Amino acid sequence: MFTNTLFLLSAALTLGGAVAVVYSQNLMHACIYLLASFFGVAGLYACIGADFLAATQLVVYAGGVVILMLFAIMLTGGTGNNINRYGLEKIAAMGNKKTYFFAGFTAIITSLILLKIIANILRVETSAVLTPNLPTVERIGTVLATDHILAFEISSVMLLGALIGAAVISRPRKERHD
Amino acid sequence: MAQLLFLDQGKKDMINLGSYLGISFALFICGILVMIARKNIIAILLGIELILNASALNFAAYTKFTNGNIDGHIMSLFIIVTAAAEAAVGLGIVIRFFQLRESIHIDDAATLQN
Repeated sequence: MFTNTLFLLSAALTLGGAVAVVYSQNLMHACIYLLASFFGVAGLYACIGADFLAATQLVVYAGGVVILMLFAIMLTGGTGNNINRYGLEKIAAMGNKKTYFFAGFTAIITSLILLKIIANILRVETSAVLTPNLPTVERIGTVLATDHILAFEISSVMLLGALIGAAVISRPRKERHD
Repeated sequence: MAQLLFLDQGKKDMINLGSYLGISFALFICGILVMIARKNIIAILLGIELILNASALNFAAYTKFTNGNIDGHIMSLFIIVTAAAEAAVGLGIVIRFFQLRESIHIDDAATLQN
């Protein structure tokens, strides 16, 4: 009962947030709706017993990525002055009719393909007994330090590279006079 | 014991593989719509985050409803790590682009040099 209620609330939050990201005019509001969608996905993880994954989702996405996005939106002018000095539109919040037309067609075609795949999967009756929701932190730690140790180390190197790369790319450069 | 506790006594449960695949499908379609329809580079990055979330949710759902081992959780963790790195580098590129062009309109990013 509790899990079903959590599932319904999380699903509504996830889908509502995702739809609001598509259709909100203000980019700041879209970012906050994305935060709501991430909270919903964390609730969905909690419903299937992935507690460590839900905590990681909250810490990394809601605490890190969304704040980073908000800072980037504010550093690039926020949602205020939309016209640059050439009189052109500087920060476009939404697309125009043409892009929505093409995006709608692409979404319809992609959704038909994906529905075909999902229908094939759902036709198989999975009547296996579900495993109970045990705490997963210890198992994840064990598997991560034994079976997947190479991927773990490679991801650490990738994070270091991303850190240095982002700092190098976005630093202000002196103009060279030569 | 496990059946009595977790399967609601043979009743058709609302939390099954189909509902999770449906939610993940809707998230993916919303991400595709954002990526194609929007003209703002940061909004396109928001769409990419939605798509990565959909894939991570798929991995976690499959590991729950098919075999119950932990490998799907590991895969979702690496997806989250990759998404964090991608957001950092992508936003760095966006800020550098804004310093050069004073714009984050995607139509301004049409040349490789100057």
